[in-house]
Amino acid sequence: METADLTHHISRRFNEDLEKVRNQVLQMGGFVEQQLHKAITALIEGDSRLGESVATDDYKVNGMEVSIDEECSRILAIRSPAAGDLRVIVAIIKTITDLERIGDEGEKIGYIASRLATMERPADKYREVKHLGRQVAQMVHDALDAFARMDSQAAVKTAQQDKMVDEEYESIHRQCITFMMEDPRTIRRALEIMWIVRALERIGDHAKNICEYVIYMVHGKDIRHTSLEDVARQIEAAHALARR
Amino acid sequence: MAAMWTFALVRLASILLLGLCLGLLIGPISPWILAAACLYLGWQLLNLYRLDRWLRMRSQMDPPDLGGIWGDIVAQVVRLHRRKQFHKQRLVQLFRELRRSTAALPDGVIILSTQREIVWFNRQAARLLGLKRPIDVGLRIDNLIRSPEFVLYLHGDDFAMPLVIRPPVQLDLYLALQVVPYGGGQSLLLVRDVTRQMRLESMRKDFVANASHELRTPLTVISGYLDTLADDSSIDPAWFGPIKDMRAQAQRMNAIIADLLELSRLESTDGEAPRDAVDVPSMLERLHRDALVSAERPRQVQLDLESTEGLFGAGHELESAFTNLLVNGMKYTPAEGTVRMRWWTDADGAYFSVIDSGIGIPAEHIPRLTERFYRVDAGRSRGQGGSGLGLAIVKHALQRHGGWLDVHSVEGQGSTFTCHFPSQRIWKEAVRAAVGA
Repeated sequence: METADLTHHISRRFNEDLEKVRNQVLQMGGFVEQQLHKAITALIEGDSRLGESVATDDYKVNGMEVSIDEECSRILAIRSPAAGDLRVIVAIIKTITDLERIGDEGEKIGYIASRLATMERPADKYREVKHLGRQVAQMVHDALDAFARMDSQAAVKTAQQDKMVDEEYESIHRQCITFMMEDPRTIRRALEIMWIVRALERIGDHAKNICEYVIYMVHGKDIRHTSLEDVARQIEAAHALARR
Repeated sequence: MAAMWTFALVRLASILLLGLCLGLLIGPISPWILAAACLYLGWQLLNLYRLDRWLRMRSQMDPPDLGGIWGDIVAQVVRLHRRKQFHKQRLVQLFRELRRSTAALPDGVIILSTQREIVWFNRQAARLLGLKRPIDVGLRIDNLIRSPEFVLYLHGDDFAMPLVIRPPVQLDLYLALQVVPYGGGQSLLLVRDVTRQMRLESMRKDFVANASHELRTPLTVISGYLDTLADDSSIDPAWFGPIKDMRAQAQRMNAIIADLLELSRLESTDGEAPRDAVDVPSMLERLHRDALVSAERPRQVQLDLESTEGLFGAGHELESAFTNLLVNGMKYTPAEGTVRMRWWTDADGAYFSVIDSGIGIPAEHIPRLTERFYRVDAGRSRGQGGSGLGLAIVKHALQRHGGWLDVHSVEGQGSTFTCHFPSQRIWKEAVRAAVGA
């Protein structure tokens, strides 16, 4: 009887630990999202101080990554989780790496934005970059939502958006090249913009990775190098099976 | 009811009596009585069976017509059932009504458990925050609304004011979120769309800032020419008076514009003041020296420094707040009065007071003192040449430092204005010694 109580107690504590670390990951995600929004706003509004503040705040993201990483190692060492719980821990360890990279890219954007703020602004006020930025920020947001809800269907949908982000990236790339050929005076600015859209495109990839970890966490399937259409079909089938 | 039971007993007795009579007439007594009792028992069992059948299939059958005590029991059951049905219907109706009304609320409502998990939310909350039903029920709210400010607010314990955030899904909105705790650690989270208010507010701020800025240039030209005219000896001396008045008024307008700009700057810089180390005692000593050389002042202007500690904050905001309070005190104190500045700290925080023996403020005006252009006595204060914005500036500067202004006044005896600063803003002496300041 006593032992039964004890194991119950242990498993409850364990659940609390898991929930706590999951919550920490999402807090980190919230901070990274905010950094990304700030960086994009700094670029669009030419606010060099905001851009600098994004760049200087990146150390907080790194700190969060380290502390979550330690927490995960502690859980692995003390509880030695298995099956679903183990997948959660593995997915968390991978997710925070990607979040940290998103933070780094955000830092880069903030830094470049603060430099661009001193230069002449183009007539379109970075409309395309703004659009891409919103798209990518939405992707990161949706990926984290899928993580919070353990919702693999939403994760697949979000991962599929990465293709659109890539297309947008290509088109801005071409546009920049055209600008540079038309008027060599814009080369400096266009090069900086290319760094920014490159960073945004990378953030899209990281968001896609997070979606893949969500699918791994929920279904135990590693889908990293399979086509998304296959995955979508499989997950749809799994859901249909669960409904039956 | 008693009659019913007597009747039942009489019926039993008469059946047994019939059995006895038959036994006496025809043969042995006991089998006949036994037969009569069995008959009675059988009849009761039949009734019981019909009652049971009806109770089981109540929805499809009419109540059986049993008569006697059985009929009475059936009637009781029917009555109970009807009453229960009635109450149930009323409750269901009430519940539907409630659900419909909360769904129709223009504000979002989320019920949170003690663990800050979502228990229930209405349609508006779902729309504003992008929540999904039913998958989000049971999730922690801070897992979905991850904005760092919100997380800090949610885990704090100060829910007096709502928190304004930009929601993650629709970036062009402003939402005011407020936690309302209620019984047993649960809480309501109210979500209100304040985009319109925020837009109006920012338009107002922009307007004030732009208008002040635009007024500045023409005014500089006017004061410039007035200065030249005042020094020009070729002018008819009859104009000296008017020119002097015009110069004074131009100066006043300049002061108002400077204050307006300062105020709009304080308003438009978001969030907390920076945490630069400010040496308050030496700043106050400087203000004191300046006050002593000013021409129009009460006879006594004192400074009591009871602490050598400073503050972490924005130096020039603090200076403008302190100056405004000191100038106010001097303005409303007659020449024979005193104005005393006091700076002290304790475990709860740091304090700066200006205590004057001036005309005082009637109690009904005190709550409104920090409003822009609020005048206790319109004629008088305009005569004193204030902008009417001084205390508004003080209030905003203090707010940015997490502090507040406290006003005590007795009419005819004087007023005390006290600035409170939280203890975490204090620049401790030990720290100052360490950096060698």
